[in-house]
Amino acid sequence: MVFSRFVEVGRVVLITYGPDAGKLAVVVDIIDHSRVIVDGPTTGVARQAISFKRATLTDLTISIPRTIGTPALKAQIEKQDLLGRWSKTAWAQKIAKREARAKLTDLDRFKLMVARKQRRAIVGKALGKIRKSK
Amino acid sequence: MVNSRPHRLYAKGRVLGFRRSKRNVKEHTSLLQIEGVRSTEDTDFYLGKRVAYVYKAKRVIDGSRIRVIWGRVTRSHGTSGVVRAKFRSNLPPRSFGASVRIMLYPSRV
Amino acid sequence: MAHAPTNPLIAPGVHRYSRSQAYAKKALFKKAKQVAPAKAAAPATTKTVQVGGAKNNQTREVPLVKAPRFYAAEDAPVPKKSRKAPRPVSLRASITPGTVLIVLSGKYRGKRVVFLKQLESGLLLVTGPHKVNGVPIRRVNQAYVIATSTKIDISGVNTEKFTDAYFKRDKVEKKKATEEALFEAGQKKPVDASRVQDQREVDKAILATLKKDRILRGYLNASFALSRGQFPHLMKF
Repeated sequence: MVFSRFVEVGRVVLITYGPDAGKLAVVVDIIDHSRVIVDGPTTGVARQAISFKRATLTDLTISIPRTIGTPALKAQIEKQDLLGRWSKTAWAQKIAKREARAKLTDLDRFKLMVARKQRRAIVGKALGKIRKSK
Repeated sequence: MVNSRPHRLYAKGRVLGFRRSKRNVKEHTSLLQIEGVRSTEDTDFYLGKRVAYVYKAKRVIDGSRIRVIWGRVTRSHGTSGVVRAKFRSNLPPRSFGASVRIMLYPSRV
Repeated sequence: MAHAPTNPLIAPGVHRYSRSQAYAKKALFKKAKQVAPAKAAAPATTKTVQVGGAKNNQTREVPLVKAPRFYAAEDAPVPKKSRKAPRPVSLRASITPGTVLIVLSGKYRGKRVVFLKQLESGLLLVTGPHKVNGVPIRRVNQAYVIATSTKIDISGVNTEKFTDAYFKRDKVEKKKATEEALFEAGQKKPVDASRVQDQREVDKAILATLKKDRILRGYLNASFALSRGQFPHLMKF
């Protein structure tokens, strides 16, 4: 089993617990085996020490020098288009889908149900045809 | 056709027990765990909602063996989404672990 | 002296001048004397009644209100007078005319209905429309309703004739329990023709709007229910 998501300066991290839950941040320095200093100027995360228990590592990294300052970090994040790369990942898309589902109103849920029924009908018909031809 | 459509207009919950400390029990207040509710802020929706403990008995009253004890959600209990409820008559201890229906009315939405 | 009292107190409760002296000082004899208003004729407390029997004087004075036959031995406790006054019921901000509401309890539980207006009693006037989901023009309590964010245009609907008095039930005459009466009681009462007419008029405008939108019509036709994994506190309506 080869590990690929290392804790390193520049590793992008998704905070999962606490007031900043759901936000991306970048590892700026490593404190010890369980804590890092993290900063997310473009996503609203203040520069702080955070435990790995409150975050998950992502596949993304950006190349920055250790202990980079916040304004410089912001510039680097925008230059390397971190948020654009993140939004293309399947992970981010799943999160977006979940959030969209949670915002559905009663009418939206009804429309969704109708759409799923229609799709089911089309798929079922095609499947029936295949079964018959066999 | 009728049975396959959902009909539920209540949230499901379980009776956890009576409000109590280690050695003193207040049977007038029951504790309920509502499905999907895991923090105190989630319980805000359910405060004031009417609750029904539905159970079956052997004797038929008014043509039915099904009986109900009605109550209301009074307040949250702790930080993990448990809720206190008071019923018209205290719940019988055999209801611990049993299902309870938290209706969607009186609605504040 | 203008700023000194006419009849000063020389000790608490003791005035300088006597009653008659104060009367003279203030020249009250000049004031117009108030005439006591003429007493209205006392309302009648008895009435004359014809009485039968030869030796009974033919008429008798009978009190209009009879004295009670029974006096309680002990005073019953009198309940305190309530100082609560009925106030007009406020309508939730999420409920505006044309809002689609989900009825939570009663015969039409789960049905999605259109809100028309709030009546004086605070109850909400709603309609299915009847052709779409079978709900007639009806009153519903605000507490037993979830307001969705879907709104329908009901500007073409005239709801002026609907008040609480419209929905007042006619008093059923007490019939003696004959076999026919018991049989009739089990059967359904036919709906008043005027009610059907009112229903049609109110629904006409709404149905016209729904005709253009098949999804909205299907939406009102469908019933609401919770299914597995759906938690009301997480749902947006």
